[in-house]
Amino acid sequence: MASPSSSSMVTERRGIPGAQFVEDVQTYLTQLGLDVNSALAFLQERLQQYKLVEMKLLAQQRDLQAKIPDIEKCLDVVATLQAKKGTGEALITDFEISEGIYSRACIDDSDSVCLWLGANVMLEYSCEEATALLQKNLDNAKASLEVLVADLQFLRDQVTITQVTIARVYNWDVHQRRIHQAAAATKD
Amino acid sequence: MHQGGGSETEVTWEDQQNINKFGRLNNRFHELEDEIKIAKETNESLEDASNELILTDEEVVRFQIGEVFAHVPKEEVESRIEDMKEVTSKNVEKLEEEKDSVVAQMAELKKILYGKFKDSINLEEE
Repeated sequence: MASPSSSSMVTERRGIPGAQFVEDVQTYLTQLGLDVNSALAFLQERLQQYKLVEMKLLAQQRDLQAKIPDIEKCLDVVATLQAKKGTGEALITDFEISEGIYSRACIDDSDSVCLWLGANVMLEYSCEEATALLQKNLDNAKASLEVLVADLQFLRDQVTITQVTIARVYNWDVHQRRIHQAAAATKD
Repeated sequence: MHQGGGSETEVTWEDQQNINKFGRLNNRFHELEDEIKIAKETNESLEDASNELILTDEEVVRFQIGEVFAHVPKEEVESRIEDMKEVTSKNVEKLEEEKDSVVAQMAELKKILYGKFKDSINLEEE
């Protein structure tokens, strides 16, 4: 889909094909070598593909948006444990054993915490190491989210361009038919 | 969003970019409305919490940190909630400001686009 008709445009981004901007409908159709209906069908199909990718990206975005507050909560807890360390007091907390059932825990001074890494693996870290690891995970998650949001914006732009192109091809066709009808009427 | 009656107004790359920008701003506007709603609700909950604190005569309050409820002295909980309330208030302010800016930009773009395309374009909410 390489064509000189669009100037400063990105042709694709991370696997998402860019939508070609159409300067002139007539030229566009000749270039594609398609008649109006085929062109419209092609553009509609492109639109469907974009929608599919959008669903995927939105799901990824939701996952990341859920992950970030979780990591922040973990950082909170580790910070609280660290704050308690100097005082010599134990931290008393109520935690949930099962839905609606809570039990009391007395957490003594400790230099280390265990972090759940996933895949049934839990590792013990010192409080400082744990904070560093959690902070790194948080930063990575936030960075991924930013990239994802930019991807979604790019995708939505391509969807808009495609929708406008569809409208313009359709209008052009209507216009052409009117011209031919008028020409045919004046001949008779 | 885009309708036409067979007119021949040319769409330039600049027009397309304006339309794209309007789309982006519209999306952002809806996201901001949701975020503002959530932030305001959080603020209200914090208000309720601090009111409850004033009424209670317990010395030790169970304050949620992460997934557990830690036993924290009342004064510390009070100051923590005050801090949280400040953070959410500032957040609401920031979001409202962004929303105002987005609405203003959308109004500008509407003027430009309706000016060029008149009836051929529809930029209203469905």
